[in-house]
Order: sequence, then structure tokens, then C-alpha cells
Amino acid sequence: MSLNILLVEDDGVFAQGMAEELRGFDHTVTVAADGREALAAVDSQPFDAVVLDRMLPRIDGISVLERLRSGNMTLPVIMLSALGRSVEKVEGLEAGADDYVVKPIAAVELNARLLALVRARGWTAGSADTIRAGDIVVSPTRFRAWRAGTAIDLGKLEFKLLNEFVANADTVLTRAMLVERVWGYDFAPTTNIVDVYVRHLRVKLTADGGEDPILTVRGVGYMLRG
Amino acid sequence: MRLRSLRTLTLAFLLAFLVVTLGTGFAIYSVTLRTIERLVDRRIQAVFDEIAGAFGDRSPEELVRRINAATRQRDTGDIGFLLLDAEGHALGGNIRMPRRLPLGFSTLHGRDRIIGLSAGRALVRDVGGGMTLTTVAETEPFDDYGPARIGIYLIGFGSILLIVVCGLSVFVVTISRRIGETRRTVDAIIDGDMTRRVPVDRSGGEFAQQAIAFNRMLDRISDLMASISNVSNDIAHDLRTPLARLRSQLALSRRRAESEAQRDDLDAAIAMSDELLEMFAAMLRIAEIEGGDRRAAFASLHLAALADEIVTMMQPVVADSGRTLVFDAAAPAEIVGDRHLLGQMLVNLIENGIRHTPVGTQIAIQVGATAAVATLIVTDTGPGIPADQRTLALRRFGRLDASRHDEGHGLGLPLIQAIVRLHRGTIALEDAAPGLRVVVTLPVR
Repeated sequence: MSLNILLVEDDGVFAQGMAEELRGFDHTVTVAADGREALAAVDSQPFDAVVLDRMLPRIDGISVLERLRSGNMTLPVIMLSALGRSVEKVEGLEAGADDYVVKPIAAVELNARLLALVRARGWTAGSADTIRAGDIVVSPTRFRAWRAGTAIDLGKLEFKLLNEFVANADTVLTRAMLVERVWGYDFAPTTNIVDVYVRHLRVKLTADGGEDPILTVRGVGYMLRG
Repeated sequence: MRLRSLRTLTLAFLLAFLVVTLGTGFAIYSVTLRTIERLVDRRIQAVFDEIAGAFGDRSPEELVRRINAATRQRDTGDIGFLLLDAEGHALGGNIRMPRRLPLGFSTLHGRDRIIGLSAGRALVRDVGGGMTLTTVAETEPFDDYGPARIGIYLIGFGSILLIVVCGLSVFVVTISRRIGETRRTVDAIIDGDMTRRVPVDRSGGEFAQQAIAFNRMLDRISDLMASISNVSNDIAHDLRTPLARLRSQLALSRRRAESEAQRDDLDAAIAMSDELLEMFAAMLRIAEIEGGDRRAAFASLHLAALADEIVTMMQPVVADSGRTLVFDAAAPAEIVGDRHLLGQMLVNLIENGIRHTPVGTQIAIQVGATAAVATLIVTDTGPGIPADQRTLALRRFGRLDASRHDEGHGLGLPLIQAIVRLHRGTIALEDAAPGLRVVVTLPVR
């Protein structure tokens, strides 16, 4: 998927590097060096997503975000910050950010998060009780999952993990994203907890001899084939 | 008993004061009494000599005449006389004696029932012919002087004692209140509230001056701490930006790299910069926890339930590493704390257990509680930490073997310690013989 991205970042070296890397993922990237430029850019053309640095000259990131949201701009915004304190994270999310990541962030990670956010926007709200990806069906309300019509017996965390994969089918989910979303932690465990759980999930999904639906994206994370 | 606490000092002082006061009172009382007795004895001896001196007529008639004359005289009018014959019959005098007094001096009491006398001295002497002459004088300036004197003593010494006790109490209360205020301030500071200060009264006295000096010291400490924490935060923070650039430059170079070998080299360089960034993230995380801001979000929770949840979550990871994880909860252990941080603490403790032990090790988590503290004990059967290195293990970057190139940045245990401190708990590393036992205590709700 190719996106039209606005990157708001005052650090020129970092901005150019990140822009070039994101272009490498086939995205179109516009760089704005401060809050005012960012607001002007948003007014002049439609973007699929905004990557917004928190600390900016003139108008800071939080204010830019608040102005976007008060102007009914619902486009996905990932807030980028050198500050990693939990209170600041909460502030950013409360101001309307869809995601909050701490600098520096690898381009693959940022790319995965951008794609996941943009795809999540395409979901149609609550048409059914179940969500589906390929032959996997998950019922988030009943905590049940099936593959090719056969119920799969999953632990609580395995279920949450599968649910996240199905909801984001065909989107790469990085380990950090999974830790945040499935485990609900704002810290990164140093062990391979995600890998261990994915392996267990794979074993259960392929117990009946089906093909492994989870793809390992080397150096990035995992993706469920839809 | 060591005279160290304010209470024992006060009690000791009061006891000494009481002993000295009572001693003084008793000494004054007995010296006065003996002096009066001696004076009275001298007086009745003199009167006796005047009436029945060794010279002159000692016939009963003459003695009675002299007694009557003395009774009438102003200066001897208060003296009692009694002249008895050999059989004990009264021959003359102005008093009656219910009992026979021995020869020589003796003391009289109210119970001797001599009219108009409650305390006195008597002198009994043989005056020849089997007769005895008793001379009696009061030792009190007025009747019921004894109770009156006790009253005076009680009022006098009682008020002195009262003043001393009151003064002492005010003193003790003032001092202990000042000490209490200082201690509460110190406790608050230890708990991370660097804004607390000792209240200063406006008297300008020693206490106020001491409080001002103490507060100035705290101001200075808090300035220093703020600048240290700013410096380390600034370092961690400011270095992140160039590191982020470095990382992004490396990532860019990797994209442009032409050979697989170059890509591998650059991957290694990127991994190194990621390690550095993780270290800074851990430092900033510790600084954030030590700031104490997260205490505002404390809520009550059951440590056993949280541990159970984390153990269940970590079970596959531990099993995957070839080790075992067992859990035992003796009590629900209700505490007040930050669920996420305590969860991180448990995860880190288990991860430590995996990282620093050989395959086949058992990691045991126990939760218990007493009336005052909840305990969390993590024991492993691994190699443990030698006693002399346990303090080092809790220190930042205090990696036990600097040459060892395993994962981890030496901030794991310090981070756990920061979380424990935030919860006003304690952490101790012990020898599980063999293995390491980490004992965490947290105050119960």
C-alpha cells in the first residue's frame, strides 16, 4: 500500500533520513519543519497519515494535533517523541494521537504502524459479531475462535494475540506493537515472549494439518495472511 | 537503662528531682523538730533547776509554793508541773498525767491526753523523799501545728513540683513536636517528596533557627538533586537525538549498501545503537519512577492475583528456555500500588531468573503477607550472587562481570529497586544455597 504521508520533524538530518526510508516503502513523503508549516500543508492537500514530532519550534506537536482534531481532521496521527515518560504518552493520546512512539524509531516499525493505522480506518463498524481472515473466524465478544469451522482452544493471551492478527490481517505487526496491544505493557520485555506465544499459536492453528497462516517478517514482526 | 530517649531522660530527671525534694523536706522537718526539742529541753531543765535546784528547802510545801509561784509568773505560765509522792499521788502542780513517765526527758503526744497539749517534752526528776517533779512544755508554737506544717510542706513543695512537672511537660512536648516535624519532613523527603520543609515558627528562637538551617540544607540538596537529575535526564535525552540521527543514517547506509557484507556490518552497527538507546530508555524509566509522579495513580490490588497473572503469562517463556516456574500464594496480599510497574517488576525478576541461570533451573515465586507487609520471594536454584557482590548488583550499571557480553544493560535490578522504593517497600538479595533469593516486601493496605 502506498500512502501520502506528512512528516513533521524539526531535526533536518533525522527528517531527511526517515523520509528517504519511508519513500523506500513506496510512500509519498512531505516534510514540514515546524507546526505552522504542518498546518499549512494539511490545508493544501489530503494526507493518508501524519507523523508528528512532539517538540517543534513555534507551534508544538500537541497544539498542532489539537488544532487538527478541532478542525475535524480525523486522519491517523502518530506522535513521535524523544520523551518516553508515561504521563507524556497519555497526554499525547489524550490530545488525539492514534499512536505514540518514542524516538528513535526504526523505519520498518514506523511503516508497520502507519499501515496498521490506515488499514484500521477502513474497518466497517460492528457489522457482525465475528471478524474473519481467510479461514480463521474470531468472536471477540464470546472469546472463541475457529479455523475452517473447527473450534480452537486458546489461552487468554493466545486469544488476544490471534484477535489482533485477524483484526489486522495482511498488515505487519511488530513485536513492540504486539507487546503494547496484546500484553498492554508500556515497556519492552527483554525475553522473546512474543515469539514464544506466536509459536504456541501456530501449533494450535495448524493442529489439524492446515497451512501456517502466520508469516514471519524477518527483523520486523509477524503478519497473518488474510 | 540508657538515658537516650526524651522519655527516659524526663523520667530520670523527675525521679531525681522528687528524691531531692522529699529529702530536703524531710531534712528540714527533722532538723527543725530536733532544734525545737533541744531548746524546749533546755528551758524545762532551767525551770526545774529554779524550782528544785540542789540548794535550799525541798520540802513538799515549799516545792508546791514555788510551783504555784512559777505558774503565776508570765514567762513560766505555759509550763506544766506535776509533783508526785513516792506512791504516785499528786502533791501539787497544774497538770494531770494519765501515765507514769520514766525519769529523764521524754516526748509527749496528743494521745497522752494532757489538756491543751498536742506535742511536747517532759522532764522527770527525783527531788528527794521519793518525790518526783515533772516539768512539761509544748514543742509547738500553737495547737495542731503538725498538720498545719504538713499542709505548708504539701503546698510549698507541691507547687514547686507542679511547676517543674508542667515546665518539663511543655519542654518535652515542644521538643518532641519539633523532632516529630523534622522526622516527618525527613520521611517525606525519603519517600521522594523533595518539596517538603520543616515548619518555621516566627519566634526567631533556637528551634526556628534550626528549622531555617535545616530547610536551607534541604533547598541545597534538592537543587543539587534537581541538577543531577537534569544532567542525567539531559544526557539521556540529548544523546537520544544524535543517536536517533546516527541510527537513521546507519539505516540509510544499509539501504544503499551494495554488498551483503556491508549490510551485515551495518546491521551490527544498528544493533549496537539500539542497545545504547535501550540503555537510555531504561535510565529515563528509572528517573521517571524515582520522580514519584506515578504514586498519584496508585490503586489497591492483590499482589497474589497479579503474580498469578504474570506467572501464567511467563510460563511458556520460561518453559521455552528449558527452565521451570512454580508459583505459590499463601495470602491474597492486598496492597496499594501501580499495577503496570509491579507487573514489570515481576516480569523483570522472572527474566533475570532466566538470563542468569543454567538450563534446568527452577524459579519459584511465593507471595505471602503479615499484618504489616506483603512479601514476594523469587528463588532460583542457579549459581546465585556472592555475598560481597549483592550490593553491587543493585547499583546502576553494576554488572557483576564486566567482561561478560550477555544481554542486559545492568539496569534490571536497579529498575526493580526503583519500583520497590516507589511503593515504600524493601528489597534484599539473599543466598538460597544454592541460588539467589530476592525478597521484596511491600506495605499492606
